[in-house]
Formats: sequence, structure tokens, C-alpha cells
Amino acid sequence: MFELLKKSGGILGMNARNLEYVRPLNRRQAREIADNKLLAKRVLKKNDLPVPGLIAKIRTEEDLESFDWSTLPGSFALKPNRGFGGEGIVVVYGRKKGRDDAWVKANGSVITVDDLRAHIRNILDGSFSLTNTPDIAFFEERLKLLKLFKPYAYKGIPDIRVIVFNGIPIMAMLRLPTRQSDGKANLQQGAIGVGLDLATGTTTTAVLGKSHIIEHIPRTRLVLSGLKLPYWNEILRIAVESQRISGLGFLGADIALDRDRGPVILELNARPGLSIQVANLSGLKTRLNRVKGLKVRTTERGILLGKHLFGGEIEEEIEELSGRRVIGSTEKVKLIGKDGKEIEIEAKIDTGADSTSIDTALARELGFGDALSTFESRLGGQDVMKELSKEERQKLFSGIPDLADTVPVKSSHGTSYRPMVRIEFVMDTVTVPAKVSVIDRSGLEYPVIIGRKSLRKFLVDVNK
Amino acid sequence: MEYHPFIQFAAGEGVPMQTIALLLMLPLVATLVAFFRQVVGIKAFGIYTPSIVTFAFVAFDPKGFKYGIGIFLAVIFVGMVSRYILKPFRLLYLPRVAITLSLISFVMFAILIFGGYFQRTGLAAVSIFPLLIMITLAEKFVAVQIEKGNRVALLLAGETLVISLVGYALVSSSAVTLTMLVYPWLVLLAIPVNIMLGKWTGLRLVEYVRFYKILSKK
Repeated sequence: MFELLKKSGGILGMNARNLEYVRPLNRRQAREIADNKLLAKRVLKKNDLPVPGLIAKIRTEEDLESFDWSTLPGSFALKPNRGFGGEGIVVVYGRKKGRDDAWVKANGSVITVDDLRAHIRNILDGSFSLTNTPDIAFFEERLKLLKLFKPYAYKGIPDIRVIVFNGIPIMAMLRLPTRQSDGKANLQQGAIGVGLDLATGTTTTAVLGKSHIIEHIPRTRLVLSGLKLPYWNEILRIAVESQRISGLGFLGADIALDRDRGPVILELNARPGLSIQVANLSGLKTRLNRVKGLKVRTTERGILLGKHLFGGEIEEEIEELSGRRVIGSTEKVKLIGKDGKEIEIEAKIDTGADSTSIDTALARELGFGDALSTFESRLGGQDVMKELSKEERQKLFSGIPDLADTVPVKSSHGTSYRPMVRIEFVMDTVTVPAKVSVIDRSGLEYPVIIGRKSLRKFLVDVNK
Repeated sequence: MEYHPFIQFAAGEGVPMQTIALLLMLPLVATLVAFFRQVVGIKAFGIYTPSIVTFAFVAFDPKGFKYGIGIFLAVIFVGMVSRYILKPFRLLYLPRVAITLSLISFVMFAILIFGGYFQRTGLAAVSIFPLLIMITLAEKFVAVQIEKGNRVALLLAGETLVISLVGYALVSSSAVTLTMLVYPWLVLLAIPVNIMLGKWTGLRLVEYVRFYKILSKK
């Protein structure tokens, strides 16, 4: 029990969330933006952040009486301005055939103007508002489901919850509506929460409702992990920006992906739920503590920090399984040349090349200047070299210090010979000894390309 | 053992002994509810409802457990049933609650008559106020039911019942009552204890269960 109590440090509980984060960091003025959806919409829009379009507002009973129902489009979402936890939201998908006073809901049931009127009265009375005080109802444009999500989401639109603290995205989760949740994406109502790898926006573990871990969508064989979300950088960007604009120090931003518009901000939460920890199998408190007090000057910096500090779970898992390091299509490498000379440089990973090659100037800097000069001086013209047998060639270049080998390079001008030297390089903490060819790459973007022979200890992820 | 001079003074001035005892118990019960929320993680219907239901149970003494639980369950049951009856009418909130309260009143009436018929006069003899308190419990129940659905409403009702029963056991225990009457200053402890509870940032007991998967990882 004591052991367990000690481990609690990593998890953010309700008490700590309220006392240490929500109360001191989300001041009243900022909370007002989160609790008042119309205000949030206005403020975010003014700052050029994408939000769903507003169709109409109904503030009073008179507004309701004089409302022209024929102005409503075929599909829309009706929301209480101060609702919370997804309560009181009605979404319709199209007009009932042959009627202009009735629409069809997610579950196929029909909702008429009279039903909507009764629902709006309940909203105006404050039945769904946080404090049961009179509220405003509004119609919002319905977002269109991304094709990618079609098999995963039951009816409604999935959304992405990003927890932002101190200008840094620290945890994220994809929320999928289910039959139980009636097409809504709130975990409290039975939606599925799927953890997201912050570095790539790829799904990891999933939780149904508040704490039940699952692998598939219930009653299907659809695996929930490994789905890569599009627009990941943009999602993180608008989440972090919305924190800056709203002034909410501890923010849960809800972002949906629209088929036509891409990421749009649905809602800002001043009291984000704690189940995101179960979906990510990771505690928020550890992460909050790690970024507390960091000075984050720009949005880009915050995103980078979040990705580096808290992302890469999937990668780690792959690395653990395969015993290899996952690298991107370009990587920083440290070249170690003669007498321990070191140079750090960006290299291109090229699985199409057999061996690794470096630029001539670079080889000189690494201490192979003499070897290269001697090599060039002994090298004859193309026609001369062509005549020589393998043995004769070896004899020609033998005795040059530091020259490891020579390699024929074929090009449109015929075959030329290049020198090879032995170096070591360090990439992603792994030290690799390599025989590299020295070629003039001065006109090319990367002075170093790493080829297959040097990549045995790595896996290449082109998304990275 | 003698009552504390302050209690004797108050009693001498004509304050009924039961009133004194209950007033001293209220901070205790309220602290208990706060403890259940912050440390255990049981929510119930806020702080007012479980406290007042506790005292309603006390008022049913000496058969607080039996009648208390019985009437509590009856109220919740009627609240559930009335939701299904009233659903097709699509009523606004307050009229809907008013109808539910009326239905509960009728059922209470029936229970009392029924009790009288079977010579269970103990119930019929109970003062009306604890009954009314229990009936108003329905408002809380219906409010949660509309906003969060049946499941949550039932869960919170269950939690309220548990806290009220623990509170009832505490308040009706003669040892506890006697202690409070002999050492009434003990009641002041409620303030530091609640300050501690109010600053408590550890995980709640139910959160250990909820986050078990993360805690047991590695």
C-alpha cells in the first residue's frame, strides 16, 4: 500500500488538479472564455484560429418565437452556450425527406421543429448550464467527418483533446464517439479515448468510458493503435495558440478535423478530465512537473519541447522490440576522423546507396588531407586506369597511409576511382565504424550520405 | 460524567438538549462528507443533501436504519419511475419536478396508511419534517437524472445513502454524543481538519482504483 501511495506522484488526481492547477492558473476571466462557447468562438476567430461557423443565436423566448426555422440548413449542431461535458447538444445530419420542419439525428430518430423548440426552452431555462442559470442556445455548422475516421467513429465527429501547460502540449488523446455515447465524443458519456504519441500524432492505447482499457472498437476487429492523424503539427499549433489567446494556464483544447477545413477548435476546457492519463497509460503530474518554470518564447518552441519531452513512445517500443534505433530521413551525425578529430553535421540517410560517402573538403578537415593528395597525384586519366588490372591498381595505390581502399564509381562519363577512408560516426547515440568513400559533394545539399552498409543497426522512419 | 459547564448553561437557559446535541453534531457530519469527497472520492449529492438526510435518519430513531433506508429507496424508486411516465409529455424542468414530488407525496401517504393498517405505528408517528426532507431529495435526484442520466443519478444516490448511514451511525452513537456534550470544544477541531482536507492534494482512494492500470505499469 505504501509503495502504491508513493507511486501516486506521477498521476494527477482531482484534488491536485483543482487546487494546484485549475484554481491558480485558470483565473476567472480566462475561465469565462472556456465556459462561454460563443465568447470563445469570437475571441479565437478574431485571432485567426479556425472555429466552426455560427449559424444563429437564440437569446430569449422572443428570439425563439420569431425564429425563422426555414433558414436552418440540412445539418447543424444545436448547443447550449454554457453547457459542459457535452450535455444538451443536438446534432442533425439532414432534413427528413419531404419535410422542411423535421431533421434526422445520429441515431436515425426524427426531430421536429416542436422538439427543437422544447429543447431550446430547456437550454434558455439553464437546464444544461454549469450553474443552472439562464443560458443562450446557438446553431453551429456541422463539421464533416474525415474519411480516415469513417470506420472508427460511430455517427458523430471524433475530436482531439490536447492538454497545454506553460505553452507546451503535454498530453493528447483522440476521442471517438460510440453507439453508447450517442455520437458524442465525451468519455463520461461512453466515448473511446485513445492515447496519442505527441511526437507523431499516432494512436497508442485506448480506454472505453472512464477506465476500461480496450484494443479494438467494441464488436469490430478494428485495431485502435497505430492510426496516424493528419495535420498533427497544425493541431498542436492551434492548441498552443489557443492557450496564449485564452490565458488559461492549464488548458484542455478540443480540436476536430473537418474534411474540408482541416483542424478547427471546438471548445476550450478550463477543467480538463483526468481519463486522458488512462488512455496514455501515463501520469500528467510527472509531465506537468517537468515543464514547470520553463521559459517558452514561441509557439514553435513549445511544440518542439512537447514533442521531444513526451513523444516517441511508439519509437521507444519499436526500438525495444527490434534492438535497433529508429531514425529519420536526415539525422545529425558526429564524424570521428584521424586522431579523434570530430565534426558534427547533418547527414542524409539513403537506403538506395550501398556505402556511405563524405565530401572531399570534409575528409580533409577530418585529417585525411595527405592521403587524398597522394591518391590524386598517383591517379591517372580515365583511359589509363581502364587498362589496369585489379592487382595493378592495388599496387598503384598501396602504401598510402590512411587509405583503406578504392572504389570504382560509374557515371555517364565512364568509370572513375575514388579513395576510401576509415572513420567512425555517432548517430542517435550509436557508434558505427565505417569505410567511407570520399567524393566531391560541394554542390549538393548534404555533404554526407549514409548508405545501407552503415545502417544495419537502424530502422528508417521517413515520417520523422 | 458531567456535561461541560457551557452545555449546562445553555440547557439552563432553555435550549433543548437535543438541539444542542444536533448543533454540535452538524460540523462533525459536514466534515465527514468533506472527508468522503476529498480523501475517499465519494461524491454524493453535494454536502447539504447527505448531511440533512443524516439528520432525517436520526429523526426516525430508534428505527432510523430500517425506516431511513426504506423511505430513501422509495423516494429514489418513485423518482426513477416518474421519469419514464413523464418523458412523453416533454415538460419543462420545474413542473416536471413538481409532479415527481407530488407522486412521492402520494406514495408516502400510501406507505403511512399501509403501516398503520399493519399496526406499524412507529412510522406513522414520525414527525413530518424528516419525511419532507427525504421527499426533497427527489429534486437533487431528478436534476442529476436529467443532466447525467439514470446511471450517474443512481450512483450518486447510492453514495448519498452510504455517507448518510455512516453519519447516522456516528450521530446516533451515544458514546459520540456524550463525548461531544462533555467536551463540546472538540467541535472546533472541525476547522483545522477541514483546512487540512481543503489543502489535500493526494490521490483519492477511488482514484487508486481508477488509475490502477497506470500505477501497476512496470
